[in-house]
Amino acid sequence: MSEPVLSLRGITQAFGAVRALVDVDLDVHPREVVAVVGENGAGKTTLVRVMAGDLVPDAGEVVVDGVEVALTSPGVARQLGIATVYQDLALCQDLDVVENIFLGREPQRGLVLDEVAMEAEAQRLLAQLAARVPSVRVPLTQLSGGQRQAVAIARALLGEPRALVLDEPTASLGITQTAEVLSLIERIRDRGHGVVLVSHNMADVQAVADRVVVLRRGRLAGQFDADRVSYEEIIAAITGASAGPTPTRRSGR
Amino acid sequence: MHVSGDDGAGTRVPAPSGRYPRGMARERLTPGSQTSLREANRERIVRAVQQRGSLTQVELAAVTGLSAASVSNIVKELSAAGVVTTTPTSRSGRRAQQVSLARNLGLVAGVHFGDRTLRVALADVTHRVVADQRLPLAPDHRPDVGLDRTALLLEEMLDALDTSRSELLGVGVGLPAPVDQRTGGVSGFGLLRGWDGVDVPAVLADRLGVEVHVDNDANLGALAEARLGAGQGHRHVAYVTVARGIGLGLVVDGGVVHGRGGAAGEIGHIRVVEGGPLCRCGNRGCLETVAGTGAVVDRLRRTHGHLAVRDVLFRAQQGDVECRAAVAEAGEALARGLAAVVAVAAPDVIVVGGELAAAGDALLGPVRATLPEHVLPTAAGPVEVVPAVLGSQAEVRGAVALALDAYRVGSPAGLGAGLEVTR
Repeated sequence: MSEPVLSLRGITQAFGAVRALVDVDLDVHPREVVAVVGENGAGKTTLVRVMAGDLVPDAGEVVVDGVEVALTSPGVARQLGIATVYQDLALCQDLDVVENIFLGREPQRGLVLDEVAMEAEAQRLLAQLAARVPSVRVPLTQLSGGQRQAVAIARALLGEPRALVLDEPTASLGITQTAEVLSLIERIRDRGHGVVLVSHNMADVQAVADRVVVLRRGRLAGQFDADRVSYEEIIAAITGASAGPTPTRRSGR
Repeated sequence: MHVSGDDGAGTRVPAPSGRYPRGMARERLTPGSQTSLREANRERIVRAVQQRGSLTQVELAAVTGLSAASVSNIVKELSAAGVVTTTPTSRSGRRAQQVSLARNLGLVAGVHFGDRTLRVALADVTHRVVADQRLPLAPDHRPDVGLDRTALLLEEMLDALDTSRSELLGVGVGLPAPVDQRTGGVSGFGLLRGWDGVDVPAVLADRLGVEVHVDNDANLGALAEARLGAGQGHRHVAYVTVARGIGLGLVVDGGVVHGRGGAAGEIGHIRVVEGGPLCRCGNRGCLETVAGTGAVVDRLRRTHGHLAVRDVLFRAQQGDVECRAAVAEAGEALARGLAAVVAVAAPDVIVVGGELAAAGDALLGPVRATLPEHVLPTAAGPVEVVPAVLGSQAEVRGAVALALDAYRVGSPAGLGAGLEVTR
């Protein structure tokens, strides 16, 4: 199996007396969707923030392509090829699709923006996602939730990241939009990216994940091959009903 | 084995297949008065157009056995009533009239529950797909969630088209398990977890308010390929779908062979390895445990770790030796199962579909090479083995066809009234 594009080793983070993450390991390989599931407060969002470079953990190391790195800011994480799409998408509602995709990273020709190149690149990104967006020049307010998600993902894919972290991408979406986003995740994976999918929805997780990692109270509570695990086993790990930690957990630390 | 689901009015009554040509069996149902004969002919033409989407008047005459003059008259009548539309076209250099059903009659929906994907397509009465959607599914998806999501998806798709639910004429559903044609429920045990005993037509009809018809997905794939795909022009068409399970549909003279309990064609559970691996059906060494996608992925687990079926196909295409070998091994095993079909039904063509069929010749090559070793050589030569023309859409298109077949043009109020006037 190929080397992981992103590895977290022994990530530990406390907020005051609350231990949000305790000794968490996570590997993401190319062409793999790793789902991170757990109850509210299990540490999912903290983990996302660590991967996004938004939070430097108290302890633990991050390895990208075999090299240990320090994700000290979101900019650094992006440069290292880790792109994150938050639940709120962080898009500007009154800007159009092209402007949103390139916001803050506009290519310039001399002193002016290279609008033609931007539009072509935006169209290329959306086309490879097979995203159904009516026009790249409509403001975001005219798009559906699923289409906005597609724009946010296209924005994240700009610059060909190695790993894509998606935080609750299907929350608050209708069924049609969920269908499109899940198909989108499959296509991103098949193009060779590693995807971390953080989600509450077990139907969505089992539909697209290759591996399911369960967090419970900040600790790893199970790691499963998505082909071979049942819904009940995942739920048991999430709620703590199953005995003992994970069989595939890496040891030796 | 009785044949049902044929193109004509005879579907309501089990026809004594084999002894009479299908047309004759149907005619015997109508009393001999002038009017009823006319009505029967009209229905024949509508059925023929409905099944094939659109065809010329000359083709209509050939298919229905009616004279060119009667076809022309009836088409004129139906066109005036707004049931069909005609457009000028040409066939082999001659002018011709292309006849299709009027699009505004309404929409039908086709639904396919695959192993890992739900597909929903909305089509008009000419088989033209106007909207489709796919939703990835969990490995052991459950009927309650699945049917609920289907209904929601359909409603949202209708909304997106600005059409109301009242324009939905019917729904066809394909399930990856044998379906008892009397109940519309799953009749095979252990194949679909949680689906045993679920009254699928009732649950969906309740949600959607229209008639729902259910059949095995391989049967629907066979129907679609026979009418619109690789089986066109053949009398006996076998369609095999290779995914997690292996299913087979057989279309004989236009009608799907269902058999007792709808279990005809379940070749995935023929034992091909004595004392082989345990199958989800409870037996050992079933064809699907050696030729299904689960077996292919498992065979590669030792060398490649976890792979999705799409990865296997991708790597096989890239020239990965182990992946190609795993697919080829599935193909050879599949040929042993297909040998039984050739021996019993001797189809004119075997159409291969399902997720693994996307491997193309990597799968079909070994099937073609192995099959002749397991069947009687005949003067007709080895049976043709071809890929599905409709690809991953075959089953859902068949579900559309199922819904269309069940819908009787002219019977609802409005259309029927239109026909009365022109009589």
